[in-house]
Amino acid sequence: MTTILGVPSAVLYGQLLLGLINGAFYAMLSLGLAVIFGMMNIVNFAHGAQYMIGAMGAWLLLNYLGVGYWWALILAPLIVGAISIVIEVLLLRRLYKLDHLYGMLLTFGLALMVQGAFSNWFGSSGQPYTIPQALMGGRNLGFMFLPNYRAWVIVTSVVICLGTWYVIERTKLGAYLRAATENPMLVQAFGIRVPRMITLTYGAGVALAALAGVLAAPVYQVSPLMGADLLIVVFAVVVIGGMGSIMGAIVTGFLVGIVEGLTKAFYPEASTTVVFVVMAVVLLIRPAGLFGSKLEAAQGQPQSGLSATAPSMRTQTLIFLALACCLAAAPLVVYPGFMMKAMIFALFACAFNLVAGYGRLVSFGHSMFLGSAGYVCGHAAKIWGLSPELAILAGTATAAMLGLVTGWLAIRRSGIYFAMVTLAFAQMVYFVALQARFTGGEDGLQAVPRGMLFGLIDLSQPANLYGFVLVIFLGGFFLIMRLVGSPFGRVLKAISDHDVRAQSLGFETNRYKLVAFVLSAALAGLAGSTKAIVSQLASLTDVHWSMSGEVLLMTFLGGVGTLYGPLVGAFIVVAMQNYLAAFGQWVTVIHGLIFVLCVLAFRRGIVGELIELWHRLRRTPPAASAALREVVVAPQE
Amino acid sequence: MTDGAVYALETRDLSREFGGFFAVNGVNFRLARNSMHAVIGPNGAGKTTLFNLLTKFLPPSAGMILHDGQDVTRLSMPAMAKRSVVRSFQISAVFAGLTVRENIELALLREHGLAWNLLGRIAHHRRVLERADALLERFGLTDYAGTMAGSLSYGRKRVLELATTLALEPSVLLLDEPMAGLGHEDIGRVTQLIREAGKGRTVLLVEHNMNVVAELADTITVMVRGEVLAQGSYAEVSSRADVMAAYTGQAHE
Ligand SMILES: Nc1ncnc2c1ncn2[C@@H]1O[C@H](COP(=O)(O)OP(=O)(O)OP(=O)(O)O)[C@@H](O)[C@H]1O
Ligand SMILES: [Mg+2]
Repeated sequence: MTTILGVPSAVLYGQLLLGLINGAFYAMLSLGLAVIFGMMNIVNFAHGAQYMIGAMGAWLLLNYLGVGYWWALILAPLIVGAISIVIEVLLLRRLYKLDHLYGMLLTFGLALMVQGAFSNWFGSSGQPYTIPQALMGGRNLGFMFLPNYRAWVIVTSVVICLGTWYVIERTKLGAYLRAATENPMLVQAFGIRVPRMITLTYGAGVALAALAGVLAAPVYQVSPLMGADLLIVVFAVVVIGGMGSIMGAIVTGFLVGIVEGLTKAFYPEASTTVVFVVMAVVLLIRPAGLFGSKLEAAQGQPQSGLSATAPSMRTQTLIFLALACCLAAAPLVVYPGFMMKAMIFALFACAFNLVAGYGRLVSFGHSMFLGSAGYVCGHAAKIWGLSPELAILAGTATAAMLGLVTGWLAIRRSGIYFAMVTLAFAQMVYFVALQARFTGGEDGLQAVPRGMLFGLIDLSQPANLYGFVLVIFLGGFFLIMRLVGSPFGRVLKAISDHDVRAQSLGFETNRYKLVAFVLSAALAGLAGSTKAIVSQLASLTDVHWSMSGEVLLMTFLGGVGTLYGPLVGAFIVVAMQNYLAAFGQWVTVIHGLIFVLCVLAFRRGIVGELIELWHRLRRTPPAASAALREVVVAPQE
Repeated sequence: MTDGAVYALETRDLSREFGGFFAVNGVNFRLARNSMHAVIGPNGAGKTTLFNLLTKFLPPSAGMILHDGQDVTRLSMPAMAKRSVVRSFQISAVFAGLTVRENIELALLREHGLAWNLLGRIAHHRRVLERADALLERFGLTDYAGTMAGSLSYGRKRVLELATTLALEPSVLLLDEPMAGLGHEDIGRVTQLIREAGKGRTVLLVEHNMNVVAELADTITVMVRGEVLAQGSYAEVSSRADVMAAYTGQAHE
């Protein structure tokens, strides 16, 4: 048997083939994302869910209606495309003038709803889908055995990708599309109905995802979450390739698949993380991406009067003291376990809000700080036998270091790219946690000892533990309050308003953003470490992307960019989890629904709306903070 | 420095290309210290691009930039500001989410070494507050101190931007079309403010309003299609036939 660099050639070719297959799906999905983004400036977070519906649709058609593979290949994309057209007309259309992140949040909510609903109906385990009769079997190529279906997938996807490229780059229709991207007004003036073109583009991009789903059904297991993890890799592909070019998306998709396949052959341990490493390297060397030309779209013009003026120092101190008293007295009426959990999540959400609200750097990967700190703290307390304060310190420091490295890379991009980069890094941390020995894999780190605080206070006593969590929460919250009101906080806010202007005044804006990001990571790590001590557990749920989604939810629901919003949001979400636990996966659907409602109806969040109301009642000029920048998207020169 | 003089800003064969098109093409430009220098030229002549190059908003494709005789071609935008070369933008740039007062204070923070103060309060720094008060007064913004900058009228935004820029006490001030979009009265006022600001510092401005240019500038550079067409006093430049041709040619296009 021949070997290549120590790897049997059959294994190598097999992995290359698998890589090529994965690459085919990356290419088709990132192509759809690029087409949609180019036309509507929306990062379609529902893309993975729509891919999943394609696959699930094929499975449903077969098992419930007896409709076979070939018809599914046509029907599923048509149906999914049609549904997405309705979504575009009813929902997405309202967002085009707002910050691009709103589109990402709304489609994220939609994805949660769809994935949650499918999980409820069909369970989250995978279903097999048999290869159609005509494509069974395979042929021996001499150096390897090539299953017919796999060959079909690769050929089909290449044809589809090149076909899409041809339509966009070489036909008259494509010329209109490209022109409408550059200058919608002008194209409109030529009598082309741009809104309808946008709608159809979205439908087509989504249909492409559904088609990929049908193609994938016989290759992978069909399951409600099959698109979620895939999408994160596709985001990394998008960051690597740059979203500017259609061909770039295709080539990068296949390349990444091949790189993954090769890694699996030569160094299997790294095969799940290699994409993210490549992404980090690309960010270092070519921040705009391999095929990207310009860094970011034009900065939007901030709308008038949208920022919170902080209440006076006296008022602030009073509110803070009242809050402290309420929280201290709460265990008399509320279950202390709930209170502690809520306070920990509130600290997490406030930490997140420090960058998302005041720095307008919306991270989709904050779970990595919560989770990794929890693991390190748990490990330090359990295996090294450190006292709780030192274990927490270790966890917090780890999160800060992680924040330094990921932040240093991520702040090279802003807006939606920042969101995608942080999400991708968090996924990398997740995979490391899944595979590393010291994290306990699927089981997590259990029975973390609570220990004696400073060798004096026994944290296994409920009252002591409660006091301990209370002090940590109040301390963290107080720190954030001071940061926001400090000169540094002012600079941070100015940077988020108008980065270039801040630079022209002599502020090295990236340094401020990085420091804010590291502080936020450290505080999130403080929350994660405390969580490990309190729950005596560090597990994969805390590093999973859905945790990043939860902290986004808490913050946006409560009011991003307001001091108390994340706190309120965290209490509501934790309460929901507690009282709606019986509904299982439906909670995810509710989360998704809240996202959608927040984006569509009350972008200021609960606290933001209350502040607004207060100002309206007192007839003072409205100064409540609006979630993100509500931009009138500036014309691109 | 062929003639031995040191200029506030100097460019040598400076070029900037956008996909094959030279917006600034081999420009040799000198900004004498303490002068009030205007760059004029038809739309698309490359004036803003020249500003962007001088302030490091854009990296040049070729050529060299000197500040006080030192090569600054590779410096960053904040580094230029720290060397006291500060600009305003053609499309007025204020921090919309901060109040007028906060906008001005922001510019003062860095100078007072407070920008990295993570836990303190601006209200505790008397010196900053006093200087902010003085600037508000000088620019007639006192009544608007608590207004969100984003909700100011366009003219006031321009004044605020000027105030914020001048709060840094720059030695070289670059103003990109400070009068654009201003009404008649505002123009008079801003002209006055710029003239005052020009005392003791170097000012470079891009301006389409010829009355303002004639009134303020001691030296004028005419740019056309990315190149310097002429340079001199208002009288010298305005009497040149090729300058007139460049402008009228533009007008009849
Ligand atoms: N980022 C860019 N990408 C591509 N082309 C650009 C870019 N910036 C400027 N240009 C082009 O360079 C040329 C010069 O533009 P610039 O803005 O410097 O002109 P200007 O003299 O300031 O004009 P105006 O008087 O209208 O402000 C224009 O043709 C413009 O289209
Ligand atoms: Mg200009």
